[in-house]
Amino acid sequence: MTDLNRRRLLAGGAIIGTGGLLAACTGNTPKENAGGAVDAARGDNAKAGKHVTIGFSAPQADHGWVAAISKNAAAEAKQYSDVTFQPVEATNDVTKQISSIQTLIDKKVDALVVLPFDGKALTAVARKAMDAGIPVVNLDRVFDTPLGYRTWIGGDNYGMGQSAGEYVGKRLKDAGVAKPVIGEVAGIDNLALTQDRSRGFKEALAKYGYRVSIRQSAQFTVESGQQVMSNILQARPKLDAVWNHDDDQGVGVLAAVTQAHRSEFFMVGGAGSANAMRLIKADKSVLKCTVTYPPTMAASAVSLARLIAQGRGMSDLTEREVPAYMVLASATVTKDNVDRYLPLGFES
Amino acid sequence: MRTRGFPPPDTDPAGAGALLSVDGLVKQFPGVRALDGVTLSVRPGEVHCLLGQNGAGKSTLIKVLSGAHTPDAGMIRWRGRPVAFPTPLAALRAGLATIYQELDLVDGLTVAENVFLGHERSRFGFSLRTKGNAEAAALLRRLGHPDIAPGRPLGTLPAAGRQIVSMARALSYDARLIVMDEPSAVLDAGEVDTLFRVVRQLTADGVAVVYISHRLDEIRQIGDRVTVLKDGRTVAAGLPARTTTTAELVRLMTGRTVEYAFGERAGPARRRELLRVNGLGRAGEFADVSFTVHSGEIVGLAGLVGSGRTEIVETVYGARRPTTGTVTVDGRRLRPGSVRAAVRAGLGLCPEERKSQGLFGEDPVYRNVSVASLARYATAGFVAPARELAAAARALTDLDVRPGDPRRPVRTLSGGNQQKVVLARWLVRGCRLLVLDEPTRGVDVGARTELYRLIRRLAADGVGVLLVSSEIPEVLGLADRVLVVADGRVVHEAPAADLTEADVLDLVLAERDTSGWQRANQGHSAVVPHDRSEEPT
Amino acid sequence: MSDEVAVPPVDEHARVERSGGAGSTWGGRLAAVRGLGLVGVLVVLGVVGVVTTHGRFLTGGNLVNILTSSSIVGVVTVGMTFVIIGGGIDLSVGALVALASVWATTLATQSLATSYGAWVMVFCAIAVGVGSGLFNGILIAYGRLVPFIVTLGMMVAARGLAQSISDRKTQLVTVQPINAIASGELFGIPLMVYLFAAVVAVGWIVLNRTTFGRRTFAVGGNAEAARLAGIDVRLHTALLYVVSGLCCGIAAIMIMALTTTGSSTHGDLYELDAIAAVIIGGTLLTGGRGTLVGSILGVLVFTTITNLFVLNNLPTEVQNIAKGLIIFAAVLLQRRGRASSA
Repeated sequence: MTDLNRRRLLAGGAIIGTGGLLAACTGNTPKENAGGAVDAARGDNAKAGKHVTIGFSAPQADHGWVAAISKNAAAEAKQYSDVTFQPVEATNDVTKQISSIQTLIDKKVDALVVLPFDGKALTAVARKAMDAGIPVVNLDRVFDTPLGYRTWIGGDNYGMGQSAGEYVGKRLKDAGVAKPVIGEVAGIDNLALTQDRSRGFKEALAKYGYRVSIRQSAQFTVESGQQVMSNILQARPKLDAVWNHDDDQGVGVLAAVTQAHRSEFFMVGGAGSANAMRLIKADKSVLKCTVTYPPTMAASAVSLARLIAQGRGMSDLTEREVPAYMVLASATVTKDNVDRYLPLGFES
Repeated sequence: MRTRGFPPPDTDPAGAGALLSVDGLVKQFPGVRALDGVTLSVRPGEVHCLLGQNGAGKSTLIKVLSGAHTPDAGMIRWRGRPVAFPTPLAALRAGLATIYQELDLVDGLTVAENVFLGHERSRFGFSLRTKGNAEAAALLRRLGHPDIAPGRPLGTLPAAGRQIVSMARALSYDARLIVMDEPSAVLDAGEVDTLFRVVRQLTADGVAVVYISHRLDEIRQIGDRVTVLKDGRTVAAGLPARTTTTAELVRLMTGRTVEYAFGERAGPARRRELLRVNGLGRAGEFADVSFTVHSGEIVGLAGLVGSGRTEIVETVYGARRPTTGTVTVDGRRLRPGSVRAAVRAGLGLCPEERKSQGLFGEDPVYRNVSVASLARYATAGFVAPARELAAAARALTDLDVRPGDPRRPVRTLSGGNQQKVVLARWLVRGCRLLVLDEPTRGVDVGARTELYRLIRRLAADGVGVLLVSSEIPEVLGLADRVLVVADGRVVHEAPAADLTEADVLDLVLAERDTSGWQRANQGHSAVVPHDRSEEPT
Repeated sequence: MSDEVAVPPVDEHARVERSGGAGSTWGGRLAAVRGLGLVGVLVVLGVVGVVTTHGRFLTGGNLVNILTSSSIVGVVTVGMTFVIIGGGIDLSVGALVALASVWATTLATQSLATSYGAWVMVFCAIAVGVGSGLFNGILIAYGRLVPFIVTLGMMVAARGLAQSISDRKTQLVTVQPINAIASGELFGIPLMVYLFAAVVAVGWIVLNRTTFGRRTFAVGGNAEAARLAGIDVRLHTALLYVVSGLCCGIAAIMIMALTTTGSSTHGDLYELDAIAAVIIGGTLLTGGRGTLVGSILGVLVFTTITNLFVLNNLPTEVQNIAKGLIIFAAVLLQRRGRASSA
């Protein structure tokens, strides 16, 4: 039955590609990004430049993360008096997305921000925009060729696993555990993003001489998290650490832990939901840490598109142009730094 | 040999000269020896009737002949050579075709497509419609039915037409022998006549027909020779069909010497009016039907299939909603189109199609009995199985249902016993007016007599009975009063004693003359009157 | 379970009383064989578990875990068994669980529950389930629409409504008494298991001991005969979907407790799990025959397989293959059972 489930997700939304299901953004990015921190450190990027129109296209919000992407992009654009934001109707139909991007090209917008439903299928139309002189900022799901985008910005799934592995490995090493029992609750197994995360986790643990002793995949849903974890807890009467790929399914994972009255291990989450961060801050559950899938990429993409369209670079960098490729780092959020990240956490 | 004193008078042991000869056939099913030494010899060009009660082994025999079952012992010779048909298709190809009661035709296809189903006229996998249609038309002409268009959707044909199509299919395989399993069961008198004409045409061409029927009059009319089966054995083979007396045939089939025994009519006891139907009508089905039924009275509706009699009684019962008129029980009007209202008022129906309308085949007998009166065995919705079972068991004993085990699945019972189960359903409910639609259809002769006695007894106990039957002698013999129905109208009403079978036939056929697609082929003396002289009364 | 009303031989009807021995009836023997088959499968799975899991399978904790994991789909399956025996099908169960869980965990409902008690949420979930079931039932019974189509429509619409109410977000349950259903225990057994057992017991009694249950078999076995016997077939059909909706409402409460959330992703593919369990439990998809115990055994078989695979840390793909094979095997077994009784 999970198989069907998977197919559905693959057909409908796998989509959400490389990181989609997991990382959601909040609407409060402008404050963080374009706000205080920036003003102090940054040069003249916030200053109004020539007026630009930025087109925006994303898949339909069949998951909170995509919804957050659209919201964040719009909110960021609002911060700038010199930007006209022009979103087109969200769709999960590749041909529709192509034709709506075509419309934006015909309108001669100054820049495009595109989260493609399917990177491969939308490569051609993205190239068309680039050939027409419209710079494209490619969000998260990458096009087939660099000719399709001026700048790519997205998250790092391997890095997420690595961060989680580093945290688990170090903490166990420090505690002097020799042969720890480490569990992993993965997301939907045949998505590339899940495999990347697991690889990062495994390789980081290997540095410490540890390995995953039980790994089961859930469906990114609360219910599947509960089901899988309740069985894992039976399979391993004693655990030392658990990494759960996704904070949303983590609600179910934690429910299973509570119901089984288990507390001998610590748990690391994934994606960085506000709920998970609050639990980390409260420090009463087994959840001690979560690794983020940078939730601000849509807002960043819009501000990059603005700079590119205005022909400006990032003022903190020496270069006069905006970089072509940006992989966002996965942060490790623990009790010590949670206050910094809490405002970025997304409500699942 | 198990035929015990009935050496086939005119069958030579080797079967030489016979088209088909069967000897010592045995077929064993888990728990049942369905065939236990059957002997049968069929000559080319004859109509050989196969007679026997339900469960005598007729169905099994034809399934073995047609290749659907493999016999456990015995010999089948086909045109002088021993054969064992592995599949029905093999039998068909050899020239032995079977037309089952439930015709195996496909409604959505055309007549021609049905005729050539399984051996379509085609080239390189593409069907040749024109060729198929032309050949089908030729076959239908040969059967005397050029009126059936090969391109017509089968679903639009009446039962008789479908049978013709089945026969055309058999002929399309160049059949030398056609087995017909109760072909007349779904036909009315005129259609039966057409069927007989076709059968005669076939035999004139040298095709042999094995004809199975419950109706002795038909056998006498169409048959050349008769073979009687009982309990899986041949008890008499190759008797002359026309001269063997009914009494003799019934004795062979049952070991008894009764056929239609209708029992005593109850005297006109204190009667009060139970049911009053007033101006009842249903658009396109029947119109302006009015009659009454009193307690203890049996009112018969006589008419052909399609005359509207089933529609009338089903409307009285609330299973169909009338467009005009009222139904009143005990002076109170019934809510139209509500079976529940009718049942609450004390009506009960034994429907025409027992299997599809009356029974829960997989369920045990007792549940079939109690289904209409469950609330009686329940306290606050909880059924007390003990009370339910006891009531059902009493009713079953009362009606002499065999076998009497109330937990047996009802589908394993014979037709007559199934009918008794449906009767028992209404008996345990304390029903006051029984609507019986073809109560003896598919019921063998012995069980019929029992049913007749039962119906009479119920009437004597004060139950009113509304009876529908295609068999005119049955209506005349059972009912106190008869309504003759034709073309959706009551054309005559009279006490049964004042009517003869010929009267009723005249009334029925007079109205029918102007309708029906097969009118052109319908002879005047459609039905040979039932030979009543031989019936013990 | 058409034959579980165990009845003594007729010649003893003078002193009839309930007795065991469902096996003495024709169908009863068959049902018993089927039930036994599934029990056999469970035993085999148990043996596999004991051999492969170093004693982790046969622990009280794990058995309770299996029961808890079965409980939600199990409750849905009870309703599904009624619908299928009654000659229908309900594809909307998963979506109804999601919708009821979302509706009962909205901020508005939870704030009401905070002031007036957790019953508000319980009532809300059940009302949503029953209401949607009634909607299904009315369209099917009185609108004369095909159950497959109606409940397919409901499946899509209810899931969509759940998504729009929740804005696709996971709604945390903050009302503690609800969460306590999952964490609470009595004699070491979670309340969830008692709830599951109670629903099954009530379902069994209704199906086998009441006029409602008996009419369900009649309507599913032969709707026309049931109508002509004076049963209100339409009303009864509508009520069957209400029963299914009710079970979905109860399941929604349980899933809220177990996951501490309401979500539009809850109940994913429950319709398939429940139908599969009903079928391998020996209920005819065409209606008229079936057993509730068989359905529940079906659920337990599936859950036990999942449990065994996780205990042995095997990937999900193999699990699905095993489940598929079990469905084939069970249906083949049914065919053989039927053939031998014919």
